[in-house]
Amino acid sequence: MSPLWSLALAPLPLAGTVLLKRAWDEPRPERPWLILGGWGLLVVAIAASVPLLGPVRGPSAMLAVASVVALAFVGAGVEQRNAKKRAARELAPEPSDRRRVVWRGWLRGFLAGPLAGIAALGCGLAVAICAPGQVQSRMVIGGLIVPFLWAGGMAWTLSDDKILRAFAVLAGVSVATLGAAFLKGAL
Amino acid sequence: MDGSTAPGKLARKAGKPIWPKIPAEFVRAMLAGHSALGLAFAALIYLVCFSGSIAVFTYEFNRWEQPAGPVLHDATPQAVDAAFRAALAKNPKAHDLFIRLPEPASPRLSAHGDDAQGGEHTWIADATGKLVAEQKLPWSEFQAELHTVLHLPRAWGGFVVGLTGVALLSSLVSGVLSHPRVFKDAFAFRWGGSKRLQEADLHNRISVWGLPFHLVVSLTGAFLGLTVIIVGVLAVATFKGDTSKAYALFRGPAVADDPRPAAKLIDIAGALEALKAHYPNARASYIYVEHPGETGQHASVNLVTEGRLSRGETVIVDGAGKRLGEVGYESGSVGIRVLGAMTPLHFGWFGGWPVKVAYFLLGLGLTAVTSSGVAIWLARRRDKGRPAPRWERVWIAFVWSQPVAYAASALLALLAPMPPVAVWGLATLASMGAAIAWTPPVISARLRLLSAALLAGVSLAHIGLHAGRFADPVAWAVNLGFLTAAALLALSVRLSRTAD
Repeated sequence: MSPLWSLALAPLPLAGTVLLKRAWDEPRPERPWLILGGWGLLVVAIAASVPLLGPVRGPSAMLAVASVVALAFVGAGVEQRNAKKRAARELAPEPSDRRRVVWRGWLRGFLAGPLAGIAALGCGLAVAICAPGQVQSRMVIGGLIVPFLWAGGMAWTLSDDKILRAFAVLAGVSVATLGAAFLKGAL
Repeated sequence: MDGSTAPGKLARKAGKPIWPKIPAEFVRAMLAGHSALGLAFAALIYLVCFSGSIAVFTYEFNRWEQPAGPVLHDATPQAVDAAFRAALAKNPKAHDLFIRLPEPASPRLSAHGDDAQGGEHTWIADATGKLVAEQKLPWSEFQAELHTVLHLPRAWGGFVVGLTGVALLSSLVSGVLSHPRVFKDAFAFRWGGSKRLQEADLHNRISVWGLPFHLVVSLTGAFLGLTVIIVGVLAVATFKGDTSKAYALFRGPAVADDPRPAAKLIDIAGALEALKAHYPNARASYIYVEHPGETGQHASVNLVTEGRLSRGETVIVDGAGKRLGEVGYESGSVGIRVLGAMTPLHFGWFGGWPVKVAYFLLGLGLTAVTSSGVAIWLARRRDKGRPAPRWERVWIAFVWSQPVAYAASALLALLAPMPPVAVWGLATLASMGAAIAWTPPVISARLRLLSAALLAGVSLAHIGLHAGRFADPVAWAVNLGFLTAAALLALSVRLSRTAD
């Protein structure tokens, strides 16, 4: 199970990326086959890594190596932009222009930081304490839920213009989950 | 991420879109949240990503910093036992000792313990287990600690790094949701022209193709950083605040504390031989001996099996050498197995040097995504007639301050007994001082050139100091890496001048 197998398999994601790029370049009749072939080669590379590198280790290694290979290919195809020629739709959408109100800014920061964190911790704790299964599994899964939900809560509260709604939901989730966890109170 | 479309593709006959249509207002709101979060955490995310990219090679830096060896590819159980006894002889009242065995990433036999005054030491042993040198790795330890705790007290540092991981994860979520075309334009990479569009292409292409890696490192990093707070709250809810009871669930069979003197010292060689017979495909990577010489003495032996994405299985052995059981990192419940995979998955320590190089490059890519995110915001302000020249200078100075500070701390750690963290802090401040005097292009070019000079200096100073005593070939590889980085930085300055 030499780690060098991940290098030996690198041509597969590279070929897959080349096919996807060809499909992307222009609409042609074989486009669906190119897309299918491109993704297929990536899947083959991951599948081949399982016996060669290990069932979890192989796909993890292949995903990392494939990302680098694809990025290198995309980087190699860099085009020089014509500064004088401006495409009509080239600009990105603009962020929504919010009215700047100090208390809303502070409240939004409070929601995205401490309150979303408490709500996420509550959910993690509720899973660790109330969910069925082995105690260590519940703790680790509950622990993994925390950053994921906190990140989601952060993204939501920072983008939702209706911050009082976000406040109500997060406060409700915090009370319900922490309440359930502390009421049960045993692993 | 910042959205942009591929102009060359607009003329294409539009097929039926495979992506669902996302309302423009939702995109604009998400973009506002993405910008706010990115700006609030930009410096921390940048620092954690940059330091994490470097920390991938922590084992290699350890070997580079003390290249004289002895380099061992294997150690006999008797040698390990001898090293343990020799380390214990230095402080017979040691509470615990940590023996690290040779493995491919770290071909050294070492013993770590504290002395009678409480000072911690690590000694390196030869093939017979004789302690031949004290391990001194100031710079390697500095860079690892900067990534994991930012040199803050452990609980606070871990929390700040974990929170940064959460912010990064949140940016990934809002970034994907606020750029409906980001997958459709996955190959559109153009350079030159508008600064904003150039940075947007760089930002979006790296974000898309590195997305699996970005998700993995941010989620695992946030989890590892927030462990203290998560376990703390859990302990408050279930163990009346006693966190040790929560941690004990992940430590395998417990051995009762018994401070009475033992009839004989734990036989590490015998324990290793017995474990070899029980786990023929595994090799021991470290042994943690607690309460040596007491009746309650016991050891946790970590066994690594090739081909697994895991830190290894930990087996508890009592003072008589009897195997008490496993923690379960490879044989236990799903939760413990996931926990056992967390650190290798976060640092890229599971697939040899190809995966380490991939993690290093993807980590630098994530660092570039952070840098370009702020650059896009600054360019957008400029395009709208509201430039922020001071922030433009501060940001570019901060971005390039880190290669300078890292290289300066490595160079001074080689030449003088100065704490690398102090040098790093001073070099960062000094580099930031450039923001006062120069324009962004000048700051960028001069700091890159300074980084190149310092990196070349590190390599040459290392060769000069250790020449003729390179027992470990990795030292040459690391020096070559530093010289290559120096050349690439200098070349980047030359190329940007040519482009101008």
